[in-house]
Amino acid sequence: MFGNNRLPAFHPGLTQSRIRDTTTGNRLWFPGVRSPPSESSPSDSDPPNDQLPLPITPEDLYDTPMAPFNPYTYIRCPCSELNPYAKRTPDVTAQGLSRAAQDDDDHTFDPRAARSNYSLYPLEYLSFCEDCHQIRCPRCVAEEIVCYYCPNCLFEVPSSNIRSEGNRCTRSCFQCPICIGPLAVNHVETPPDPNQLLSPDHAASSHSGSYLLSCSYCNWSSTEIGIKFDKPNSIHMQLAKLRNGGETRLTAKERKERRKEQGGGGGGSNNGQGEEDLDTLLDMETQFANLKSFYQNQLSDANGTGKAGGDASAALGNLGFDAPASLSRIMSLYTGSSSLHDKKSKSRPGTMREALAPSEGLQLASLDETSAITALQDFESTTGLDAYSSTASTTQLQSQTPYLGASPLHGLTRFTSSLRPIPYLLRTKRSKRCPQCRHIISKPESKVTTTRFRIRLIAGNYIPTITIKQLIIPGLTPPPMPNLPPDTIAPLQPAQFVLTFKNPIFESVRVTLATPATTPGRFPSKVTILCPQFEIDSNTDVWEEALKDNNTSSASTSTSQQNLSSSTGPEGGPGRKRAGTLRPGTAGGASLAGEELGPEVGKVWEKGRNWTSIVIEVIPASLVQTAKRDGKGPIKEDEDVLEIPMFVRIEWEAEAPEDEIMPGLSGAKGGNKDGGKEKRELAYWCVLGLGGLRGRCKRGFVCGRS
Amino acid sequence: MSRRPPRGEYIETDTGNKVARKATLVGTQNIMLGGKTVIQPDVMIRGDLARTIPPAQSAGSSGPANNTAVAIGRYCFLSKGCVLRPPGRMYKGVFTFMPLRLGDHVFVGPGTVVQAAQIGNHVHIGGKVVIGEFAIIKDYVKVLDGSVVPPNMVIPSFSIVAGQPARIIGEIPEGGIEAFELRDLYKTVGNNVQPTAS
Repeated sequence: MFGNNRLPAFHPGLTQSRIRDTTTGNRLWFPGVRSPPSESSPSDSDPPNDQLPLPITPEDLYDTPMAPFNPYTYIRCPCSELNPYAKRTPDVTAQGLSRAAQDDDDHTFDPRAARSNYSLYPLEYLSFCEDCHQIRCPRCVAEEIVCYYCPNCLFEVPSSNIRSEGNRCTRSCFQCPICIGPLAVNHVETPPDPNQLLSPDHAASSHSGSYLLSCSYCNWSSTEIGIKFDKPNSIHMQLAKLRNGGETRLTAKERKERRKEQGGGGGGSNNGQGEEDLDTLLDMETQFANLKSFYQNQLSDANGTGKAGGDASAALGNLGFDAPASLSRIMSLYTGSSSLHDKKSKSRPGTMREALAPSEGLQLASLDETSAITALQDFESTTGLDAYSSTASTTQLQSQTPYLGASPLHGLTRFTSSLRPIPYLLRTKRSKRCPQCRHIISKPESKVTTTRFRIRLIAGNYIPTITIKQLIIPGLTPPPMPNLPPDTIAPLQPAQFVLTFKNPIFESVRVTLATPATTPGRFPSKVTILCPQFEIDSNTDVWEEALKDNNTSSASTSTSQQNLSSSTGPEGGPGRKRAGTLRPGTAGGASLAGEELGPEVGKVWEKGRNWTSIVIEVIPASLVQTAKRDGKGPIKEDEDVLEIPMFVRIEWEAEAPEDEIMPGLSGAKGGNKDGGKEKRELAYWCVLGLGGLRGRCKRGFVCGRS
Repeated sequence: MSRRPPRGEYIETDTGNKVARKATLVGTQNIMLGGKTVIQPDVMIRGDLARTIPPAQSAGSSGPANNTAVAIGRYCFLSKGCVLRPPGRMYKGVFTFMPLRLGDHVFVGPGTVVQAAQIGNHVHIGGKVVIGEFAIIKDYVKVLDGSVVPPNMVIPSFSIVAGQPARIIGEIPEGGIEAFELRDLYKTVGNNVQPTAS
């Protein structure tokens, strides 16, 4: 709701809580329980639109607990334009505002279009390329990994280890398979004698099998899957060797060694383990290893190098899959009796056979589900709970890492009782590059624990921030409708909002704004910017400003000496002036009356050190009436939010770079050089989210009530 | 939305701390405030839960006082009704509390219970959050409202955390760092606050 889908990173849903029944000691599952509404998911619990239409009461309309609406500004990154890096004509003038829009689709920007979701970002998510003079968003920047680290133990993992050991922490950092909370290594028994801790052989001998992983959030422990550890450290290695139930398992290395022994005695890999019968359950790693050695033997046999049944391991080493002989072998397999096959393969038809025994990697599918069904029935009969609660949820299964010791495919676990601890996924520190000029936009320090950045070019340091506040003037603004919930805008009544633009750069900036007369979409609201062109003073040094103030307000701003002592700006600075007081005829004591007269067309509302406020007037559409007339059906997501697309163009004069002038790059302009100054401009679309259009209907219907 | 309390509600110390008279500070001799920290009414800080076992000699004393139970940095903001409680555990067979350390610019939301071992600098903890015992929160972390951070959890820098139990759901963008500054918030609280355009 309220455009949350634009924040790419925020998805705090899908929390699965697990609570122990205090009387029976059994776990209770609440698969659908979600986290309470946080700032990013205010109304996740709303039922979907296609629910049965129930009689709607006014309480239904307005009693949804909603987070208060915070007005927002999202800025569109230029990367979503059709040809984002094309050279734009540099002569975009005041009338040429629409031409910049024409670069896109010849339409005004529609914030509710499906594609807009991917291009709108809050200002803090945006970067700025100083060379291209353009906004860059998380979607269009190129990221490079600076370092990998474990989010739990905060140890850096070298990238060579990533290649060999995967992208998970190989120390002792694990997450609970049930609730994904962190697992701690604990003693099974009571804590040992402190004196014994000092003895060197303590870990090895005296406490064998006495450590477990336990979750302090949901009380899960690794003993539930029958796993205990000998040592409190390097749990990852120990866990890889343990099956559920505590049975040890051969790792790949150990198996290789064992096979070598057997292969040396038997003379051929096929009869090495051939006595295993077909029901033997192979785990994935063993099956793969068996299959691999089987096919390698087949290949070597087929090529005649080891056909006589000589040393199989020697033959295995002689021939790789990429050898030309094996390629022709494969080609002849697939082409069959076509003209491509050569005499050699013709002379030996059917030399390739399939695996026939577990030792060759054959694994029969066990389609017998009776054990799973009896497990379900047992769970129901012993606990009296629904058997569904004993099965693992999709999220739990997804967070499981592939365990090489698991039986393959058909034996995948479906019960919570067999889920294994999840080693922590590593995190990265990343630097960002501009997609166009490849310059680095952001680069963190490579050390894991430091939070400093070497390079950090963020859009907030280059383009003005826009803050939105509803303008309520006592006496002028109509009182809010009594049946409207707070934070919604009354339909069909003019509402005024103050937009405050704060300038972050050290030059004064000229701003030109444009909006469509009505907002796009099914429910058009009328929009008027009362002052579409204005200037924002430069962001001078705060100390400079303070010194100026000490000099008894000797013209702190260029135009006004008239500081209102009663009002201070968002900055709290004294250099603020209100347009109403500057009008002729309302000087001095009449200033209060002047304020009450409200905003005036073409005038700036307020002005301060590095900020300027203007007023935007909106006549919101009524969702109710429009729906009645046209029968447009239910309100779609975000349609009940008043969103106004606004085109912002800022111009300023910057110190011209001496060596490089980049003419024609989008947004920047190299011409008009006089006296070391260079005219710069930047233009972009943004979206103002002003407020809820009307009380949000709980069931997602347009209601004919007012 | 004026946060302006009636006159004299806060005790302002020499180092700029603003402590509400209605806040409950237990064991004040074990509570260290770094300065410019705001403690709102109904906040409870359990300084009485100091460690009963002296810290290991090899580690060396990091703070000036050995028995500090709660150490708070500068520009922290403890909202109404939050609780800071040092975590405790069995250590070498004896139960002891361990100190709770907060860095600078830490915001603790209303109704939140903090039992962490360590909270870094520039951390925003929302309202009605529970931070479990011995959790470690590094710098520039945002914990959303209603989260339950499980005990012993480590939250790395630049994380956004939410859920029950809490999990990392996002990253703080590069441009979001400045929003953790609490200097402006500090100025809005106190006995005689300059009126601001609310």
